[in-house]
Amino acid sequence: MSDLEESMKIERIIYTEEQIKAKVQELGTRITNDFKGKELVVICVMRGALYFFSDLTRAIDLPIKIDTIGFSNIPDTTSKTGIVRITKDVDIDITDKHVLVVEDVIRTGLTTAYITQNLEMKKPADITLCTMLLNPDRILMTIPVKYYGFEINDQWVAGYGIDYEEVGRNLPYIAQIPKAKKD
Amino acid sequence: MAVITISRQNGSLGDEIANALASRLGTMVISRKYALENFYGKINPGTLDRLNESAKFFATTPPGSELSYADILTAKLQELASEAKDKDLIILGMGGSVLLSDCPDAIHIRVIASEKTRLNTIARHYHITEDEAVEVLNIAERKHKRFVRTLYGTDITTQEQFDLILNTDRLSVDECVDAICELVRKHDLRIKLAKTNAEAKTIDHQTRTVSFKNATEEEFAKILDMYNIEWLYEPKTFPVEWDAEGNVTMAISPDFYLPKFNLYLELTTMDQKYVTKKNKKMRLVRELYPGTNIRIVYKKDFNELLDRLKMFSGLNDID
Repeated sequence: MSDLEESMKIERIIYTEEQIKAKVQELGTRITNDFKGKELVVICVMRGALYFFSDLTRAIDLPIKIDTIGFSNIPDTTSKTGIVRITKDVDIDITDKHVLVVEDVIRTGLTTAYITQNLEMKKPADITLCTMLLNPDRILMTIPVKYYGFEINDQWVAGYGIDYEEVGRNLPYIAQIPKAKKD
Repeated sequence: MAVITISRQNGSLGDEIANALASRLGTMVISRKYALENFYGKINPGTLDRLNESAKFFATTPPGSELSYADILTAKLQELASEAKDKDLIILGMGGSVLLSDCPDAIHIRVIASEKTRLNTIARHYHITEDEAVEVLNIAERKHKRFVRTLYGTDITTQEQFDLILNTDRLSVDECVDAICELVRKHDLRIKLAKTNAEAKTIDHQTRTVSFKNATEEEFAKILDMYNIEWLYEPKTFPVEWDAEGNVTMAISPDFYLPKFNLYLELTTMDQKYVTKKNKKMRLVRELYPGTNIRIVYKKDFNELLDRLKMFSGLNDID
């Protein structure tokens, strides 16, 4: 076991590099067919989708434009939880363009809802969602996820961009890690 | 989508607010000028001048018409309001708040300012001295009163008829437009939900103030706020079972409605084994009210969400 694997206390590999590669290729082909002849902007939700986005965009055989969006929880004097705000907005004009938002994992869909609400204000032609991992049992929001790589359950995962306390993103596969202890 | 009437004092920036609002909402202002140019067909310049100058002339009838100019104005404005189902409509002046007092979709705004502010605005607008502005304001107010008396025979500036009164002594045009837009948006939501209640025979609770039943609901509302997701608390009740006499024997009032996602969420803090009844209610809502998106947030879901939010401290991603 490598130092990284040991530090992450990896319990098991859920999806191997090969499985991920094949799935990304499959998604890329579907997206290529679906958006042929359309002006497509692919947006990476930082930082979790970084590796997935990087591989996926190279599997799309279209003249796409790419951009990134970042968000963070900032302290707010009126609430204990703070508020989620965009920290890095898209730079290119997406008005009247077809937008594909690429996420690492969608569980409740709250973050995705927040991001799509913000992107909608820029009046794109439409917004399509793509995520590497989807937990269909926990999704709360009515958000249409058109493309997803794999389904997951309530397990805690890391790797291929997904972190645990900012570590583990650079694992080349997706692994199950121990659930965080409650305070 | 709403019909917005704007009544204003002369020099209160009411016209500027109406125009900026129209630009923001992508609609047009139905003003007295628009009405005179569009409501009476072909109109000769002399008649137009008289209508502009004399309120009394509104009591006369156009050639070949049984209705007076005032009657036609009233009928046209009411017709426009009833046709404005899918778009916003701004009616500036002309006693719109009185004419459309029975229209539930309408929002009535009054723009006011102190005499000092209004004189300043008029003086700047017409490049005249403050003394001259006093005279302009007096003439304008006299004419306005005559116009109102002729058309309505009543005072159209009583406070009770307005939903929102804006004082431009301290508010900018932009701030006023922001306030109206937010009111329009929320009013539109409430009216739409009320209409669905009337159609589906569900019970409207929207006038209730928010009073959470437990800490979980309060916490969940904070999480929605955190994500800037708009919510309404228990806006309606879905009856799901009735007795032989038609009395409601079982109903559910979902805790949250997220208008943007057309989604009802019901939180349960009970253990999984006690939620069978709630699941049954959910199933009945889906059967009896097709097209209703309703989901339960189980205790496990909520705890899981909280666990992950604890990780979200400043820079961590969550999902």
